[in-house]
Amino acid sequence: MPTKRHLTTTVPLALSIVLVPLTIAMAFWWTGEDVDQGLSQKIFYFHVPIALTSYIAFAFGAFSAAMYLWKRTEAWDLRSYVGVHSGTIFGTLVLITGPLWAKASWGVWWNWGDRQLNVFLILFLYYCAYFMLRFSLDEGERRRSASAIFALLGVGLIPMSFLAVRVAQTLIHPTVFTSSGAAMPGSFLLTFLVGMAGMLSLMVLLISVELRGKRTAARVLQLQRSARGEDA
Amino acid sequence: MIGAALTIARVKFVLEIRRREVIFAMLLFLAATIVIVRVALSGDTGAGTRAAAGMLWAAVVFTAVLGLLRTFAAEHEGGVIDALLLAPIDRASIWLGTALAQFGFLTAIELVAVPVWWALFFQGGGPSVGTVVVALLLANVGIALVGTLSAALALGARTRDVLLPVLVLPLLLPVVLGGVTATYGAFGEEVGGLRPLGFLALYDLVFLALAWGTSEHLLGD
Repeated sequence: MPTKRHLTTTVPLALSIVLVPLTIAMAFWWTGEDVDQGLSQKIFYFHVPIALTSYIAFAFGAFSAAMYLWKRTEAWDLRSYVGVHSGTIFGTLVLITGPLWAKASWGVWWNWGDRQLNVFLILFLYYCAYFMLRFSLDEGERRRSASAIFALLGVGLIPMSFLAVRVAQTLIHPTVFTSSGAAMPGSFLLTFLVGMAGMLSLMVLLISVELRGKRTAARVLQLQRSARGEDA
Repeated sequence: MIGAALTIARVKFVLEIRRREVIFAMLLFLAATIVIVRVALSGDTGAGTRAAAGMLWAAVVFTAVLGLLRTFAAEHEGGVIDALLLAPIDRASIWLGTALAQFGFLTAIELVAVPVWWALFFQGGGPSVGTVVVALLLANVGIALVGTLSAALALGARTRDVLLPVLVLPLLLPVVLGGVTATYGAFGEEVGGLRPLGFLALYDLVFLALAWGTSEHLLGD
């Protein structure tokens, strides 16, 4: 039993230790400089994987929320919370790296015409509200269902935000500009994939460490209660 | 189920007509916001139509939040919510009835406030009336659905009054975007007036489906 639990942390830990530094090395020493953007393009290998990882973490949170509403076990509630939590952590990184890249390549910190950026901001605000909701309700069945429903609503909000920004853009910017016009060279793609794998293993690591911490805390609380003679 | 929802909505309307708690506060808030923005922008002739469209939608959403703060409040204070939950009706109908009432309140207020907006911002040649009316009606449906859902989620939270705007506003951001686009498109010189309306209708459908699917777990035990 302990070996299986350890596997969920040691494997992603080992992968992150290898893959994240490898991404840095590949980005700076192996891939050539982008003709168009030069050095600032290197942030692509971090920013885009972090953003995708953040979406995946939110999706995991929403999936676990649906599972909670179906199965009604605390484990799924905890998974949903931890998924949203790590999504928010990666989301914060996206909101730091995004403006950095925007400043370097467009000359502005925030481009209100960019679709990805604005959708991400809506989503980030939304999932920040998740924590406010969760922690202003008393622990129990009601808090778990309310959190789960709210996390699930995000599934509707993500496509709706994309569509809304797209509909609005037909009026603001008649010409839709694509960020990556030319096909990526092989070395760029490979570095991106390594970066993606690194961020994903980092996410799995964060989720499994936090889950273990929460589970241990719950178990300690339960033991304390039964030691005091209260009902376990 | 629809019958129960209609009954709940009717009770809310009757109570509102007797107590006048929500509608007048919302109406005054919306009118005051419109006037404040008009005064604030008065020197700026360049702001023009886009500012007018944007401020209408921002004001509508904030007014809706003001009204939502009182949703379920009477039920919660009087313990009526427990009775409603015990009643042999579908949980979805409680939520649907409340959303219907919310839609009615919003529409009633807009009937008075939007002409004020019109008069203050456009002396001649405003956006096409039909498009703006349809956009507002579609948005009211979405605001009522999402707002009632969030109000039910925040029910029993310690900081309900602060929490509710934080929950609702990100969810309503697509509505504001769609609404502004529709209104701005209705000025005639731009195209694509129907696409934002279609988007608003789609938003209503998506959140109706999501709310319906989760309504059984919504009001808790």
